[in-house]
Amino acid sequence: MSISLPTYTRREMPLLGRRHRVRAIITTGLRREFKRPAVLVVIGIGVGVTIITSIVVVLFAGVFLQGQPLDLSFFFTPASNGAILFFVTLMASVVGSALIADDLQSMALTLYLSRPITEGDYLAAKAAILAPMISMIAVFPLVLTPLVAALLGSFSWTIALEAIGLSFLIGSLFTAFYTAATLALSSLTRRKSYAAAGVFALTFGLTIPAEILAGPPFNNPAVLYASPWENYLAVARAAFGATGAPIDWRWSLAILLAATAIAALATYLRMKFVEVVSG
Amino acid sequence: MLRGPGEGTIVLVETKNLTKVFGEVRAVDDLTVAIPEGAIGLVGPNGAGKTTFLRLLLSLLQPTAGTAKVLGRDILDGVPLRERIGYMPEHDCLIPDMTGVGLVAFMGRVSGLDADSAIGRAHDVLQFVGVEEERYRKVAEYSTGMKQKVKLAQSMVHDPQLYIFDEPTTGLDPRGRTEMLDLVRAIASSPGRNVILSSHLLPDVETICKYVVILDGGHQIAAGDLHDLLTGAADRLRIDIRGDHEAFAQRLRETGFEAEAGPTGVHVGRRPGVEAEVFQAARALGAEVRYMGREIRSLEEFFLELVARNEGKGA
Repeated sequence: MSISLPTYTRREMPLLGRRHRVRAIITTGLRREFKRPAVLVVIGIGVGVTIITSIVVVLFAGVFLQGQPLDLSFFFTPASNGAILFFVTLMASVVGSALIADDLQSMALTLYLSRPITEGDYLAAKAAILAPMISMIAVFPLVLTPLVAALLGSFSWTIALEAIGLSFLIGSLFTAFYTAATLALSSLTRRKSYAAAGVFALTFGLTIPAEILAGPPFNNPAVLYASPWENYLAVARAAFGATGAPIDWRWSLAILLAATAIAALATYLRMKFVEVVSG
Repeated sequence: MLRGPGEGTIVLVETKNLTKVFGEVRAVDDLTVAIPEGAIGLVGPNGAGKTTFLRLLLSLLQPTAGTAKVLGRDILDGVPLRERIGYMPEHDCLIPDMTGVGLVAFMGRVSGLDADSAIGRAHDVLQFVGVEEERYRKVAEYSTGMKQKVKLAQSMVHDPQLYIFDEPTTGLDPRGRTEMLDLVRAIASSPGRNVILSSHLLPDVETICKYVVILDGGHQIAAGDLHDLLTGAADRLRIDIRGDHEAFAQRLRETGFEAEAGPTGVHVGRRPGVEAEVFQAARALGAEVRYMGREIRSLEEFFLELVARNEGKGA
């Protein structure tokens, strides 16, 4: 063992600002995630499946959607792709469930919070690790589909550009909801498996019963407001001008935004007080 | 940093009526202390409030009442204060799937170092603490001793002015403990660096620190220069006898001296003729005087005496 002082001399060097510190957490976190085989598999299969199904829909639009006008409302079809729901849930549970739970389990949270950052910085960094992962499935395929459609000449560029903008917005809404909800669940437990189960319960535990109760013989469409997916579909349907919405998109948008904000606030408050608990 | 009132010393930590309450528990209770720079020992039994006090200093907890300044900054400042503090927590807190050097460099970057400086310093501090080629292995594969060294290294990477070490020798074997204490001593003795060493292992504190704060039940029960505390007041004698301490003290009281029996011996007020009376009492009681002189005790003896006195007050 060497008992000698480090080679550097003590000096009051200016430290870089908080933005740099948050960026350090994000880049290191993303690098760690991209080394995990499970994450690579979900990204590969999830992005692949959602993009391929969306493009197949575009290529065979004339065959599949006979009689339907090829206008902006067509892009509700790729946006309502069930593969998005499944792979977003899978991505959130594989990546997001561990982001805070692992730090609680290893007590690394103490290390982070004893550094010159705030709880808000820590959470912002964790959200910035998860959000791009989810958006690879919730945003990227939706944005790519109108682009490919325009390049193939199936749609005019005017419609395609409008569809790209709308796809980005509704995809971002879905990403924000799942990012906030997943981090909230991850902050509640030291076991990432519990948080992952919570993400699946949030998605399918609400969506499947809601769809059953909304259909015959119950015929109660109001319960669809309980499902994040149905709320997302209502907003997407309104954005693309598609018809046949069983619930009011305004309420759906309000519910998604409120749930996102509440989840983010709850996570922040949990971070403010978790140090007391872990100590 | 602040200058102490009327003193030449620099105040490292200054608290005024600092209180932290968790529900019914007053973890830190009305603590007022001015700690000078240097190597400071924070001692107390388990549950004394040491870790809560440290977390208040780090601004990880908000005080229920009172104020505190560390390095001249209010603890409510949070982020700018923590830029100047390196913290080594008591419990295991390392990220298991990172390498030693990766983790230390990462913590350097989170403290505000640029990437190149962080990696350079990570290697420097790991060299210093004695983690050599193992630095490229994952932390999960490390022994307890190596984990402690990496914890120490991560607290050093941004070269802070104040190091807070919470029970740094926990879980170490005697050799590891000696190595860790050597490292802490090396840091404490280097210019521009200050150390707060929290421990319930009193010999650790005694060998490193010059100043000590003793807590019990969230209260400060003593604080001061370690040498002064251990040598005691010049107007009192400590008599170490082989025999019944209480009977001996009683005999001295009967002859007009202020005497009390404690776990470390019999303490008596110094007055002319006391030495002769001590030997007469010893002869009368058949006791053997093994030491008579100014109070010189170990930190452990002093601590036990204070805690016993504190419990007596509580009862």
